[in-house]
Amino acid sequence: MPQQLIKVRPTKIELVKLKRRLSLAQRVQKIVKDRLSILTMEFLQAARETVEAKKKLVDELSQAYKALSIATGYHGYIALEKELIATETDVKVTAGLRNIAGVRIPCFELRENGRSMRGYSLVDTSSWLDRAAQLSEKSLEAIVELAELQRGLELLGMEINRTKRITNALEYIIIPSLQATINYLTMKFEERDREEKTRLKRVKVLLARA
Amino acid sequence: MPESWLGEEKQSPYDRMLQECLRGELKVVNAGLPRNQKPLTGLLDEEYPQVVCSDGSAHLFKRKELEYLASILDSNEQKALLLPMLIELTGNEAQAAVICAGEQEGKVVSKILDMPVIYEKGRITLYKPQLALLRKKLKTTTQYVFSPKIVQ
Repeated sequence: MPQQLIKVRPTKIELVKLKRRLSLAQRVQKIVKDRLSILTMEFLQAARETVEAKKKLVDELSQAYKALSIATGYHGYIALEKELIATETDVKVTAGLRNIAGVRIPCFELRENGRSMRGYSLVDTSSWLDRAAQLSEKSLEAIVELAELQRGLELLGMEINRTKRITNALEYIIIPSLQATINYLTMKFEERDREEKTRLKRVKVLLARA
Repeated sequence: MPESWLGEEKQSPYDRMLQECLRGELKVVNAGLPRNQKPLTGLLDEEYPQVVCSDGSAHLFKRKELEYLASILDSNEQKALLLPMLIELTGNEAQAAVICAGEQEGKVVSKILDMPVIYEKGRITLYKPQLALLRKKLKTTTQYVFSPKIVQ
């Protein structure tokens, strides 16, 4: 693809400026490329983990529902509802941010509520209900983990897109056009030098003849 | 008029754009650097273990990771291990280096990678797949540093 030349005056000062600009653009490109490779690595990692977390969540939820339906069958719907009425608790999640190469990603961690008992009577219920409660708690952890991973994946994806645009602009437009302009100016100066030399030779011959 | 203003006026918009881009990128990539690192023992005692980053935001540590690190190290090493551990990117796309203050970082990295590691001038060199493995285990307790060597 022919590179577009930057409109500059063909002077030595402009050439020096262009060379400085080129080195600056190459420095920016280096940083952006490094950042892009790190973001891509983290994105792939997050994608793999998201798939695993989703699978884990589906498994755990299906196990929890299965256990709950067994407990319901054992105790009866009304008796179970009566027992579970007092078991509602707030879920405590610590939320914060972590930074991956300039991208702020949410970080969630489920905190234990500090209650040793689940709130229902152990005398009136069976171990089926304990199992259902245990599995539900486990799936809650998986939900929080998946929420963190999924949001992280989205944010990383958006940042990769943005960084890729900058990298492409630098790699395919800015740096090649600077290089092409520098080459053009260098050739122009060389051509000028050659013309000057020829002119001087011609003047010398004319003077020698006179 | 101050000299810096005159200097900026002399710059073409093109140069200014590139300069801004470079400044912005450096600022963004190193925004997550901690103002100061904290020892593992101190973090374990905190209710919300976190450090303040250079941009003023807080970087939260996951308690699970801290407990995992505590399980690897003895009490003296826990005091000496400063978190977050810094991973330096030096412009070589295939490699990175973990900055070590002592042997405890090496012990952690070695345990996670399940292989012996070599210190060289206070750094442990890692290849990309090893880096991915380390980051998978220690998401919040490690942090990337974009070394100034990249921009030289």
